[in-house]
Amino acid sequence: MTPARKSDAFGLLVLAGLVGLAIAFTHAEVRERLSGPGLREKAALVERLELTDLALFTDARYARHPSMADRHTPFQDGPLSMEHFPSGSLVLPPPHLRPR
Amino acid sequence: MVQLESITKIFNRGRPDEFTALEGVSLLVEAVKVTVFKGPSGSGKTTLLGIIGCMAKPTAGRVYVDRQEITSLPERFLTHIRRRTFGFIFQQFHLIRGISAVENVMLPALTTGEPRAAIRRRALELLGQFGLSGKADSRVEWLSGGEAQRVAIARALVNRPSVVIADEPTAHLDTTLSRDFLAGMEILKAEGKTILIASHDPLVYGAALVDRVVEMRDGRIIDGAAA
Amino acid sequence: MSLVERHRNILDFAISSLARRWKKNLALLAVYTFTVFVLASVIFFTEAVKREARAVFQGAPEVVVQRLMAGRHDLVPQAYVEGLSRITGVREVRGRLWGYYYEPSTGANYTLVASGDPSVQPGTVAVGRGVARTLLAEKGDLLPLKGARGEYVSFEVARVFSSESELVSADLIEMHPEDLRGLFGMPEGFYTDITLKVRNPKEVTVVADKIRRLFPDTRPILRDEILRTYDSVFDWRSGLLLVIFAGAVTAFIIFAWDKATSLSLEERREMGVLKAVGWETSEVIAMKSWEGIVISLAAFLAGVLAAYLHVFVSSAALFEPVLKGWAVLYPRYDLVPHIDPYQILALFFLTVVPYTVATVVPSWNAATVDPDLIMRQ
Repeated sequence: MTPARKSDAFGLLVLAGLVGLAIAFTHAEVRERLSGPGLREKAALVERLELTDLALFTDARYARHPSMADRHTPFQDGPLSMEHFPSGSLVLPPPHLRPR
Repeated sequence: MVQLESITKIFNRGRPDEFTALEGVSLLVEAVKVTVFKGPSGSGKTTLLGIIGCMAKPTAGRVYVDRQEITSLPERFLTHIRRRTFGFIFQQFHLIRGISAVENVMLPALTTGEPRAAIRRRALELLGQFGLSGKADSRVEWLSGGEAQRVAIARALVNRPSVVIADEPTAHLDTTLSRDFLAGMEILKAEGKTILIASHDPLVYGAALVDRVVEMRDGRIIDGAAA
Repeated sequence: MSLVERHRNILDFAISSLARRWKKNLALLAVYTFTVFVLASVIFFTEAVKREARAVFQGAPEVVVQRLMAGRHDLVPQAYVEGLSRITGVREVRGRLWGYYYEPSTGANYTLVASGDPSVQPGTVAVGRGVARTLLAEKGDLLPLKGARGEYVSFEVARVFSSESELVSADLIEMHPEDLRGLFGMPEGFYTDITLKVRNPKEVTVVADKIRRLFPDTRPILRDEILRTYDSVFDWRSGLLLVIFAGAVTAFIIFAWDKATSLSLEERREMGVLKAVGWETSEVIAMKSWEGIVISLAAFLAGVLAAYLHVFVSSAALFEPVLKGWAVLYPRYDLVPHIDPYQILALFFLTVVPYTVATVVPSWNAATVDPDLIMRQ
């Protein structure tokens, strides 16, 4: 009676992992297909209210509306104002503000 | 069987610690005979066994195994021939700790492409022959000295070699276990295997099953070269 | 089939070899998995946010015109609206009324928007769910806001935006334009900024130039730029992300380097034994490679799957404190899951290959040892 082979156990583990990935892919596909109405609702609100940014960072203005920010907004508080909002270290200036 | 032609082995060539282990050794090892290499330590016995068993290449000279010249072969082919033809029992046994006896015995055969189940069967058979069936799945570090040696012998036999080489096999054994070892060698001889032993133990070179004693000193054969 | 058999046997031995040093290898596996988890989580999250923004801001204003004075955003006078309407290629010029409202009692920032939409009557507001949560306000409740002159004005919550829309509406308070002007003390004839449409979308940069020439103190922002903002909002160069990446990668490198370069004496000895019993150099190296592959593959699969669950099932729970920062208000949202196979493949090659190489290269020395060396030990 040969004991279970370690290579077989590993093979099974990898298989389980790949199956997990396959499930993840399927889950993503399904959720993507169902996401239509939600996205449309948001898009409609964006159009109606003429919105330009996601409400992700509500602690600083230049972080709340990064697309609207210019190079000066972080320094509104003072020219030597150091970065003090955590969001500021997370959000980069938008591409249209960075040198090409 | 195995023919050695003017074998010379120099270690650390060109360096200040250059050392000539073997010089101009010529020898014909006959099949199905037990040959013992006798001599003090430093006489070159171990080095000679290594060269006969295709573990090392000589600095000069030629080695023939079954009339095939092997000294100029690349490492891969040499390893294949060695695997098929020779089984080694090391003085220190050199078993792998942390795995079982049977797994140790299976080790040399794992890369031959044979299915694992067949290898395991043969390994268990061999362990059975040496009375270790009950310890097959025990970790080798839990085995006694004598048991460990029997595992080492079984390992040397797993690829069904025609030549068994043992280096100072009785060095760590008492008289009873030494006699057990010689009894084991007798069985192998009866099975048609060629046995080469390096030993300075009188119990070994004086044993009845020994067909020939080759005496060495300072890297040279001083007696017994002729059959 | 003997090749498969050989490698299965070698793999068996490799796994048993790993198991014999399980403490070290478990720690390694943990660090490796964690690194993959962090990197994959960031990849999944930023990709999902990008896609969401792309989809949602297709209907954003085509051009937003801001006015700057002394380097600060200033209100835009009515005259600009008229001036912009006269530019050829421009149509539908509208003044936008919006601003930020800071509430000291909660420390929250809200975005006030006025749309002129008949759905919001004077004296009433529509609020985002984030606002509702912060103020514990529901439909029908009264919302007091402090005006520019210090007076408190109460608004009735007529509507709460849906939870589906939180990513864009969480901190919004929509009110009637007159109410907003009154609250902020914004005089008639001025707007926060201006939005406009162009007749020919391909001409939008030309129009932007015209706007800049006509009103040099303005800054037109194009819809394309708005969209590209979110393509790069979580660029790896952003400070915090760089720190996270660097931290994870450094931990990984330290561990992998230590493991790979310090072949223990025991491991060397074992490799010597393998050579002595008849394993070729290439087979010993194959064994070491399998050791590397086993850890890599296990860590990679576990890390990626854990990252997927983290970002798309638990809504990036571990990132929330980082993203929230000092904000009091944070939206509740479910990102649409998306796995980009190329990114995952890239992550695979960037982690598995270097690790396997780091395991194999130091083994080279030990693997090429002469078998007869073991006889003399």
